[in-house]
Order: sequence, then structure tokens, then C-alpha cells
Amino acid sequence: MAEHSEITASLRAFQEGYNKNKRLKKMNADWDRVVLVEANDIPSGHTLILRKGELTIQEGSPESPDVKIISDSETLADMFYGDITPTRPYLNGTLKVLGTEDDVVRLDFISLMIWGE
Amino acid sequence: MHLKKVLTLRTIVATSAGLTLATSTFVAAIQVAGFLAGNAAWLAILTSGLLCFLAAACFSELNGQLPSAAGIRLYFGRAFNDNLALVISLFYMAVIMGIVGAESFILARVLSYAMPAIPPLVWIIVMFIIAAWVNIRGVKIAGNFQDIITYGLMLSIILLAVLAFGKINFRPENLTVVGGPGNLIQAVALGVFLFVGFEWVTPLAEESTDTKLISKGMLIAVGLISIVYALFTVAVTSTVPKDALGHSVIPHLLFAENLLGKTGVIWMTIICLGASITTFNAGLLSVSRFLYASAREHVLPTCLSKVSLKYFTPWAAILTIFFVGLAISIIVLITKRYLIFVNLAAAMESLIYALAGLAVIKLRQKIPAAQRSYTIPGGLILPGLTVVVFAVLLAAVLITDKIAGLCLAAGLFLSWVYVINGVPVLKERYRKRHPARRRRPVKVELEEQ
Repeated sequence: MAEHSEITASLRAFQEGYNKNKRLKKMNADWDRVVLVEANDIPSGHTLILRKGELTIQEGSPESPDVKIISDSETLADMFYGDITPTRPYLNGTLKVLGTEDDVVRLDFISLMIWGE
Repeated sequence: MHLKKVLTLRTIVATSAGLTLATSTFVAAIQVAGFLAGNAAWLAILTSGLLCFLAAACFSELNGQLPSAAGIRLYFGRAFNDNLALVISLFYMAVIMGIVGAESFILARVLSYAMPAIPPLVWIIVMFIIAAWVNIRGVKIAGNFQDIITYGLMLSIILLAVLAFGKINFRPENLTVVGGPGNLIQAVALGVFLFVGFEWVTPLAEESTDTKLISKGMLIAVGLISIVYALFTVAVTSTVPKDALGHSVIPHLLFAENLLGKTGVIWMTIICLGASITTFNAGLLSVSRFLYASAREHVLPTCLSKVSLKYFTPWAAILTIFFVGLAISIIVLITKRYLIFVNLAAAMESLIYALAGLAVIKLRQKIPAAQRSYTIPGGLILPGLTVVVFAVLLAAVLITDKIAGLCLAAGLFLSWVYVINGVPVLKERYRKRHPARRRRPVKVELEEQ
């Protein structure tokens, strides 16, 4: 079981990878979204905010997110560090991504572009 | 914390019903009538619909327990094992490509009948180019547009049926003459094809806050579609002689022409276009997303995970489907054996519904305490009945069309060989190219002295 601080650190690593990628920021310039990242085995909630291509992270859960990412703390930490792809936990049901199909697919593309295959 | 965008029941019903409404299903409905001695197709169609309620109940329970766009891949993986889930999913995607091929062939024949100057091959190529372009650009059918298309289509078909009943001064004769139980079973088995895809609405569970809405939507959609097809088929077989219908690829067009002349042809052509848009789009979309996800998981070649940096769509997967779908359509155009794909799809769908029933039983045994937003009442009776009923219907389709049976066996075998031998090679190749990496710092836990 990962700790809340490890999920925070993984999200920081994800944010760093995202912000380094100028192309990705440009591509998401018109994709403003609020994403909830929630662990289902420990009390841990984070909010990813995409505004005009910039990604910021906040502690806690938002009021009305566009997308919800819910999984166990280990999977979340590994996934946002890029140690595992989201596909495997998604297909075996460990990871739940609630939102429109377009948003779900785009999040996977972002992860692919930051961490590679 | 609620999602900002949620789907309404109206759109869920429209999506589920819209996925089943296709040009090829009109032809299949007439084929159902061909099995029966009298004018009893409605009986077979309503029975198929009723049996699909069983399958819908199973999908509702599975979706309530495991709400995910991964659908059968996840349900069967959890209930049986990952290899079986992959074998079934891979071949199911191939069958959907076959349906898209048959659908484009029949639609092309409809369009060529309405506009004889343009040959079917041109229509097929144009349709595939448009579908691939729309998918690569990431253009989606909006919920409201889907509602208008589906409800408009259903109303339109009912209106045509009512007009036909009025014109021939319809009398309820021969409505229960089926010509024997064997004929009825064969008709019901093919009737399952009319409902192919109603369960594809389950991925929308991720866009809905209440998974019960998906279950309700599926059941309403199956009920509506049953009524629409039953009315349509009785109207067609009462208006046009069975002999003329049986040998035609476009029986629904002959019916409309017989009923309203040139206006009828235009009307039916518009109905076919509307019905095909949603099926064609849903088929291409679901297969391309499946190929992309499988490539990301390294069970298909990695090149299929290439993404358009402009539109955020899996262009390599879409182009692959474009070429495979086009090839299937051209083969169908040359051989005219579109019914193999119809029967193959009916058989595959029966197999999946039987496995869905079995998955419900297995998951109840494996994880009895799991949270389920919907549980089929009556214990194991209804899931068990689903398994038995669809196993019988599967056998009926295979007896009726032995070539489709051979295709099903060969397809499942090839899929199994690929999963057992090909997938490990791809995974090993990936491991060699990307040696184990760990960015996450290793947690050092100090034991208390």
C-alpha cells in the first residue's frame, strides 16, 4: 500500500514530465479539464487541473470533476511515475476512469507521450 | 463529487437501439421470415427479443459489478481467465469487421438501386474513406443527434408498416403458422442478429453516474427494437411475395417501392443511411479503440498504438481497419456471400451471451461479497437459462449454416493459437526493447529496534 505522499510525489513527477513537453502543452491548449485522482484503499484525493495547456496539482477532491481516476494507492503511484501503463490495470478492472470516452482516451495519450510505451 | 457531463436515459436507449439498427438487420429480418411457413416472423423476432432480455440482465449484473469500457474483456477475464477473454475479444472484433463489411455491401447495393449510375464498389470505397476520415478527425455523433437519428428511424419504420397495413387492408392471417418447432428455433437463432450490439452501450457506464440507467436503457432498447422489427417484417412479408424477397439483397427497398413507388425508395434509402451511420461508426470506433488498447498492452503489434498528435486518435488502428474492412467488403461484393457474416455474427453473439450467463454464475461463486448495483433475481435460474438457451441457438445457427460454423471454429482456433504463441513473443520483444525501469523511489522501511 502506497502512502498519500507517494501519490503526491508521483503526480509531481507526472506534472514535471508534462510541463517539459511543449508539444503536449500546445496540443492541450484548448482542453480545460478538472481531474480527480482518488485512492480507494487509503484516504487520498488529488485534483489535476488543466487550464490553457498548463497542468497544476492540488491536494483534496474537487466539487465537480470532468474525469475521475480511481484505483488502489500502489497502482496510482506506479502509474503516475510511468512504471506501469494505465492499460493493464484498466483492462483488469483495478483502475476505473470515469468520464467521457474522449477524455479517457486523451488521458491515456498524454500518459503515452510523457512516459512512452 | 459528481461528473460534470452525464448521460440521460433517453440517450442511453437511443445509443443501444441505434447500435442494433442497421441496413443488414432489415435483410436479416426478412431471412428470419424465410424460415417460417406462415406470416409468423413477428413471433420469432419477439422471442429473440425476449431471450435477449436474459442476456441484457446478465450484462446489467456484470456491468453493475465491473463498470468499465473494457466490457467482455474484463468480465470474462475476471470470471474465467485472461487468455480466454482475449481469444473471445480478438475474434469478436474480427466478426464486427465482418459485419461492417456486410453492412457496407448491402448499403452500397441500396444506394446503387436508388442511383444506378454509381456502381456499388464506388459507394463502398466512398463510405470507408468517409468513415476513416471521420474517425481519424475524432468527429463524434453527439448525444442529441443520436437521439434524433434513432427515434426518427424507429418512428419512420413504424409509419411505413402502418401505411402498408392500411394499403393492403391487412388481415391477421397465418400469423402463428411457423411450420414446425425446428423452423421456429432456426428463425429465433437468426433473429438474435437483429439485436447484435445492444450491449455495446455498457462502455457508457463510465459516462453515467448511475449504472442502473445503463441496465434500464438496454432493456427498453431491446423491447422497442423487438416491436419495430416485428411490425416491419410482418408488413414486408404481407406486402411483397416471399419468393421475391428471399432472393434479394434489398428486400426492404422492394417493399418501400411496392408501397410508395419512387418516394418509397428515397424514404427507405434515407432510413438505411441513418441506420448505417451509427452502426458503421460504432463498429469502426470500438474496433479501433480495442486495437489501440491491445497494442498498448502489447498483445497486438505496437505500431497499432500510434496516435495522431493533432486529433488524439489512434490513426494506425483506424487505417488498419480501413484496409481490412475494405477488403472484406470487396470479397463480399465479389462472392455475394454476405449471409455467412450475418450467420457468423448471430453465432458469435449467441456464444458471447451464453458466456455472459456463465460469467455471472462464476463471478457469484468467485466473489460472492462483491458490490453489485444490480443482481438478477431468482438466484442462478436466469443466468443458467441464458447459458442453455443461447447454447441451443448457437447450435441452431451452426446447423443452418455449416460454412459459418466452420468460420467460427477456425476463427476461434486461430485466435487461440495467436494468444498462446504470438502474444508471448510480442511481450518478450517489448521486454527486450524496454528493460525493467523504475522511476518510483524504493520505499525503505526501518524496522524498530
